[in-house]
Amino acid sequence: MAFTSLNFLLFALLTVIVYYAIPVKGRWLVLLFASYAFYLLSSPKTFIFVLFTTAVTFFCGRSIGMCNSEHKAFMAENKASMSRDEKKAAKAANQKRKKKYVAIALILDFGILAVLKYFRYYLEALGLGFDLGGILIPLGISFYTFQSAAYIIDIYRDKISPDTNIARFALFTAFFPQIIQGPISRHDQLAHQLYEGHEFDYRNLTHGAQLVLWGFFKKLVIADRVAILCDQVFDNYGDYSGEAVFVALLFYTIQIYADFSGGIDIARGVARCMGIDMTNNFMRPYFSDSLSSFWNRWHISLSHWCRDYIFYPVAMSKFFGKLGKNLRGVLGDRVGKLVPVIIAQYATFITIGIWHGAEFKYIAYGLYNGTVIVLGLLLEPYFRKIMEKLHINASSRWWKGFQYVRTFFIVVFGKIFPKAASFGAALTMFASMFRLHNGEPFAETLLSLGLNETDFLIILVSCIVWLVISLVEERDMRMNGGDGTVGFRQAMDRMPLLVRWILILLMLTAVMALGVYGPGYDAGAFIYRGF
Amino acid sequence: MREQVLEILTEIRGDIDFENEKKLIDDNILASLDIVAIVGEFNEEFDVEISVEDLIPENFNSVDAMVELITNAQE
Repeated sequence: MAFTSLNFLLFALLTVIVYYAIPVKGRWLVLLFASYAFYLLSSPKTFIFVLFTTAVTFFCGRSIGMCNSEHKAFMAENKASMSRDEKKAAKAANQKRKKKYVAIALILDFGILAVLKYFRYYLEALGLGFDLGGILIPLGISFYTFQSAAYIIDIYRDKISPDTNIARFALFTAFFPQIIQGPISRHDQLAHQLYEGHEFDYRNLTHGAQLVLWGFFKKLVIADRVAILCDQVFDNYGDYSGEAVFVALLFYTIQIYADFSGGIDIARGVARCMGIDMTNNFMRPYFSDSLSSFWNRWHISLSHWCRDYIFYPVAMSKFFGKLGKNLRGVLGDRVGKLVPVIIAQYATFITIGIWHGAEFKYIAYGLYNGTVIVLGLLLEPYFRKIMEKLHINASSRWWKGFQYVRTFFIVVFGKIFPKAASFGAALTMFASMFRLHNGEPFAETLLSLGLNETDFLIILVSCIVWLVISLVEERDMRMNGGDGTVGFRQAMDRMPLLVRWILILLMLTAVMALGVYGPGYDAGAFIYRGF
Repeated sequence: MREQVLEILTEIRGDIDFENEKKLIDDNILASLDIVAIVGEFNEEFDVEISVEDLIPENFNSVDAMVELITNAQE
């Protein structure tokens, strides 16, 4: 069941009605029932895998939680009489116990993900006759597996307590608005909101509906329209070069953002209608002054997952710390200190790459991002010297502007890897950008890529609307902190009722009249649904 | 200890007003690279073992929170 289908809208509407129709205490059961019904309607053959991951994660989580409780009770009783070394030894012994359960959960959860999503590709590539074709990739497997892993590690780190009710935990794993394409929620941020019933609040309903509408606008009016041009060029890349490839790449940068953030807005909007505030996955990523900053604003739930469970453990591990120290003699003090960070960066970005898929083009995408950031770290003193020599003021407006533009194009060029048909195709397309297409005027080239003047006008106006909203949010974030979206929402609330409804109706009309609908009014599938 | 902590922080990120910022993590002022550098310096300077488990926003949102983290780690 696609987010953009009429069926989904009816399903979501019915869920919201039933949610508020029954007593507060039992509302989480409506969500669980709806989530499992959604999964069974969307991907019935793979439902068993969600159940398996839920059960494994729940029981391992409980066991780790029990170790935590026993250790705390032991320490409360004996702490006063223990030396620092004895305390350390007790902590280490407890960690050793917990690690067994962590290992079981992670091996089983990631094992399923690996077999169904990744090994399939390699087994088929090896041509040894393995056939997993009968088993589909479970819907949302990357999202719920990463979410489950975070739950287990957070209990191990004693940041959260384990769930005591498997049905409630099942809801956390399979909550229907997030199962298709995230965000990858943390238990301490989402679970309690799912379990406690929310009283009906008109503002939640309107904010949620507005967010859903905005998501539809981004997906149907922008993403699916821009996709026509992107697909034309990327699917027939041998026929195009120069400005045609560059425009397609630029448009893909718009498409992927509109598509993914549109889907997230729909998911968050549906949840908001029921008073549930899901984590925001995007914070105007193309307003970043560095690639690190971009990853702090793009697919935030995945990059923060990687930061907390890969980057920090690797960068702060004793092993890599020692390695860095040993290498200081060879590489110098500064670079030696950076060794653990560099290894952690690559581990993080390779994970982000592999998260998208098994093909090498995704790993190349990770390596590209990791390398740009690592080069930035290594060359930082040299850049600083150059800036001093050129008398560039790092806090000046034009320098900031340059940083935004530079980062944007680093991101644009990086997107060639995940979008191209293969790693080889990505390189071919990149090289072809430096050859003129066929000498015809630019306007003619543009109009030969599947879109007409009206389409370009719609894209331009839509992107300007989006840009203005983003600028307002960005300003709000700088002035008031947070993610910047609250101010815009409040500004909408403060508008006279008539103006607000005119805006909403305009948006609704735009979605219905300008949305790109395929045969049978079937919108294109979300890109991140495939991950 | 507070002075030493401030000195370390200023050396790593001279552009931040550590005395007045109280939401260093919540407002994305400190990046993950800074955190790794800060923890590395704390561990070396104060002979403590701040680990991944301690990396929660509350421990790094302000100078005072960091001082408290080090004090607890020394116990």
